[in-house]
Amino acid sequence: MRNKKLNPYLICFVTILSLSVFSAPGFSAAPSSKEILEKSDQARGNVEGVEWEIEMSSVEEGRQQERTIKVTARDFNSLAEFIAPSNVKGQKILMIDRNMWFVKPGLSKAVPISPRQKLMGGASNGDIASTNYAGDYQVVEASEEIVNGEPCYLFDLGANDKKVTYDRIKYWISKARMVGVKAEFFTVSGKMFKTAVFEYGNTISLNGKPRSFISKMTITNAVMKNDVTTMLYKKALVKKVPDSTFNLNLLLK
Amino acid sequence: MKKLILIFFSLLLICLIKSPAPLGAEDTNTSKKEAEAIGDGDLPIAIQGIIKEKFSYELRLLTYGSYLSPATSTQNPGNNFLKLQSYEADLEVRPDLRLNLEFLTLSAKPRMLFEKKIWEIGAMDGNSKSRDDWFINEWLARLKVSENIFFSYGRENLQWGPSYLFSPSNPFFTDNGRNNPKREVPGMDFARLVIIPESSWTVSLITNTDEGRNITDSPVSFSKSFALKVDYTGRENYGSIILSHREDSTEKLGMFGGSTVSDAFIIYGEGSVAKSSRALYPVEDGSPFGASMKRIHSEDSDLKPVLLAGGSYTFLSGGTLTLEYVYNGSGYSDSEAENYYGLRRRAAEAFSSGSQLSGLSRLILSETFNTGHRFLRKNYSLLQYNHNDIQDTLDFTFRLTHNLDDSSFQFIAIGGYSLGDHLELFSVITINSGRGDSEFGSLVKSQVMAGIEYTF
Repeated sequence: MRNKKLNPYLICFVTILSLSVFSAPGFSAAPSSKEILEKSDQARGNVEGVEWEIEMSSVEEGRQQERTIKVTARDFNSLAEFIAPSNVKGQKILMIDRNMWFVKPGLSKAVPISPRQKLMGGASNGDIASTNYAGDYQVVEASEEIVNGEPCYLFDLGANDKKVTYDRIKYWISKARMVGVKAEFFTVSGKMFKTAVFEYGNTISLNGKPRSFISKMTITNAVMKNDVTTMLYKKALVKKVPDSTFNLNLLLK
Repeated sequence: MKKLILIFFSLLLICLIKSPAPLGAEDTNTSKKEAEAIGDGDLPIAIQGIIKEKFSYELRLLTYGSYLSPATSTQNPGNNFLKLQSYEADLEVRPDLRLNLEFLTLSAKPRMLFEKKIWEIGAMDGNSKSRDDWFINEWLARLKVSENIFFSYGRENLQWGPSYLFSPSNPFFTDNGRNNPKREVPGMDFARLVIIPESSWTVSLITNTDEGRNITDSPVSFSKSFALKVDYTGRENYGSIILSHREDSTEKLGMFGGSTVSDAFIIYGEGSVAKSSRALYPVEDGSPFGASMKRIHSEDSDLKPVLLAGGSYTFLSGGTLTLEYVYNGSGYSDSEAENYYGLRRRAAEAFSSGSQLSGLSRLILSETFNTGHRFLRKNYSLLQYNHNDIQDTLDFTFRLTHNLDDSSFQFIAIGGYSLGDHLELFSVITINSGRGDSEFGSLVKSQVMAGIEYTF
């Protein structure tokens, strides 16, 4: 058998081509759906420590209501402190993963509450917490769709168990920005009961790199289309949040 | 003391007038300027900056009136023993102040109370009394020794546990304040060391150094207690164990726990086990009333459990239904209850007749009133429905507590109606039903409290 001599020019060409292709921006092994969800979770608050203020405004059956809440969060724990208006000032909701307590000035002790209990308008308590779609849901079906001219992954998420706030979520994640831009929430019976649109005008520094961070969430009731709750996320600040922040023993009433 | 509190309130007023917007509401540019000022070493501005950033407060003004109808019972014959007022009018000023520095947290809840009571039934019929009370119901100084160790001393209303009916795991407080959220539970003096070894676990060493304002007529007089509390908080569940020891040698093991079963459903439990009880029990003897109230279980070694199980379900509409059951192992059995009510009846007859035994009957009635039991009998249930933020304005809670042993019950309706961002109308209605010789039929037939709360 004759020994075939490799052409050194061909080897160089193939090597250079390979290097340039694999190092090209945007080229890497395609991220898994879990990685995509994790990145989009980060942009909605699931980082190691963050503090922000939420200005909530809801219109329900024509009535308008407003709240300002200071949220300190880390991983899936958060402490929400109501700072305005006066009649709710001092109220707190402590969320340690799925355990939730409500604290009110004058109320002797913290009341354990369920995530479903209404916060305001169309928002449940669970909506101000850091969300954990990557941990709580699995991608049942994946496809792609354009949302407002932006190519997006469309994940049909099914709850890993019956314990989460929503049984099923249709979730659109921007392919370029890796942030969730739209979601539809479904009940166990399969009925859509609210939709949410997310905006990311805030920037935080994560591991020394700037990262888009949620600035607005608009929740619309699927049945009563005029019932809209808007949450504006302001003063976002990534910081070290100690365990003591989420400790019920240290929470001042 | 009053002068001190007056000075305190004056300073508070100055703070409120001078004080900036509440924490979190300040303008970022202003904060930057202050930070610069701090850097420049301008002390007054620096202090002002710290206060602006670290000081927060709530100030509430409550005015309310209440009407009370005493029950016709052997505990309070003709309302001549307890002398419960028919009408009460109150004005309360309740500021809550907090200063959160990096290593030190200070808080104080000074209170001003103006009260007028009017009697219409019984020995005090036609009388009225007014008083003012100035006090600090709660205060706290907490030092952050390290990131995970905290030491505090102060007067606190130290409550824990998930249950509504009462908190058997708490060795310090028998009243959890849930029957009337507009009345504050008086604080007790505590020293606490809280250690957080890791995010899921907390260890607390607690001692009550003084009864503070929590002075009761209970036969179980104040005695220092020491408690070791270990808390665990998991992903969707939590649990705590509290081991306590009273200086007069009563040991108690308390526990509570809960789980978020689903988005809408939570379950919980709470309980305690004690070796002995310092509460009073009726004992038949040769005394003039044929029985007397005695501490017969103070040296016992058999365990007396109190167990509470409960759960809450939140409907899609937002309302929450709660159900609790309590087994109160130290409560009276049927025969003990029969003796108790028999003794009370004989004491009431002697008290009303003004006989030679009226002095003794007064003692017996005070003992039957303050037995040292949170609940008299063994089996109770609670059914509650509450719904908040109805049409953004209305909150209400309906609570029915049923003594399953004597069939008496207590119904409580708590309502709040918001009139804008500062004003709330509220009411607390209590209706007790049962025979005169039943637990809930013994003291108050009904009570209506209604008022206005203004939050600054």
